[in-house]
Amino acid sequence: MEEDLISKKELLDLTGISYGQLYRWKRKQLIPENWFIRKSTFTGQETFFPKERMLGRIQHILSKKDDLSLDELAGKLSDMTWVQKQLLTLEEVRERNIVSSITLERYGQRDRNEHKYSFDQLLHLVAVDLLLGKGELSLEEADLLHHTLNVNRPQFQGKRWELFFARKMGVGFFLQALAPSELVFDEGVRLISRITLDDLTEQLQGKLG
Amino acid sequence: MDKDAAADLQIAGIGGAAGGAYNHVSLEGLSRINGPVTARTFTGNGRMRLGGSLTVEQMETNGDLKIGGGLRVGTMKHDGLLKVEGGLHGESFTLNGMADIKGDCELENFTAEGVVAIGGFLSAGSVELVLQGQAKVKEIGVESLVIRKGGSGAWSRLAGGMIPKLRAELQARVIEGDFLDLEYTEAEVVRGTVIIIGEGCRVGRVEYRDRLTVHPGARVGMEEKIGG
Repeated sequence: MEEDLISKKELLDLTGISYGQLYRWKRKQLIPENWFIRKSTFTGQETFFPKERMLGRIQHILSKKDDLSLDELAGKLSDMTWVQKQLLTLEEVRERNIVSSITLERYGQRDRNEHKYSFDQLLHLVAVDLLLGKGELSLEEADLLHHTLNVNRPQFQGKRWELFFARKMGVGFFLQALAPSELVFDEGVRLISRITLDDLTEQLQGKLG
Repeated sequence: MDKDAAADLQIAGIGGAAGGAYNHVSLEGLSRINGPVTARTFTGNGRMRLGGSLTVEQMETNGDLKIGGGLRVGTMKHDGLLKVEGGLHGESFTLNGMADIKGDCELENFTAEGVVAIGGFLSAGSVELVLQGQAKVKEIGVESLVIRKGGSGAWSRLAGGMIPKLRAELQARVIEGDFLDLEYTEAEVVRGTVIIIGEGCRVGRVEYRDRLTVHPGARVGMEEKIGG
């Protein structure tokens, strides 16, 4: 599944930001260098961005930039330790609307240690919630996903990973791999979803920050 | 950086050093430093050769400076020749003379009078260029860009006719920005919010959002208004 790309022109039209702002944010490292994808088109070289991630990031910057200076914001985006050390209680998770209440009810109880959620645990909840929310998983499959993420957590600790959810003849299965990975499936397999740790982290950070 | 932690480096006459972290670097005369240099302040006069990269908060140099790696700087001011093999990243850069930067250039303020060549992408808050010769930049993305032609005297016009490198003009493939005020610029595409295409420009395609002014002495292939 190819990630959706958006051209620079479309992006600026859609978000209403200017060239100057875009380049300023890039200079301040609010937008990672490797999100600028150069591609040849019939009008010459053009710049494209990963659509979902870019729109999310721009929304995040626009919503925060009145309270924080760009430098502070850049620091926050690149420095993830402050957010990873955070522990939240059930009430806080509910209050901040981090995952839907269904997800929280079903999976929330299982992995609380001493009544607080760690960043990793929240991350797993977000992953499950995301796929459930898109209607791509059944509840049993969500159980399996949550279990898979938990079991494999020590193995992927501190590493960047990606999660693939595919289906063959109606049977769903998950693959967790170190990112960036290129997986090839046989013809009967339909890749339903592909999520990366970076995306999840960003989502969660946005909600926590 | 802790001010007391690092020593000063001082070269007067002819000298060399290995490189390292310094508080203040002062180079006078002929100097060669082999390794990468980190410093709080840097002043130099004469012919300076740095084999590695340079990271400095504040620098002011005159003469012929060559940097073998990248240059990361807070504020810098340079008169004379500057050659950087890597990229240039910093807050503010004032140039009087010639600069040749091989990599990307990211600055908040860039003011130059003279000749500029940037091999990569120039991204800046505001750029002001007074052309004394040929400026070449691959791509430009800015908030505000003002290009002016300097040296309109008879002598430079004569020299420019004979030696193309001395003809005052800016060449870029793509120029994008919020406010673009151009003169003597040759570009394939110019995109922006407010654009002024002044005398002596040759532009293949202009895309503007709010306002476009074209001087009668400019050539524009195609104009297009974009956005709402």
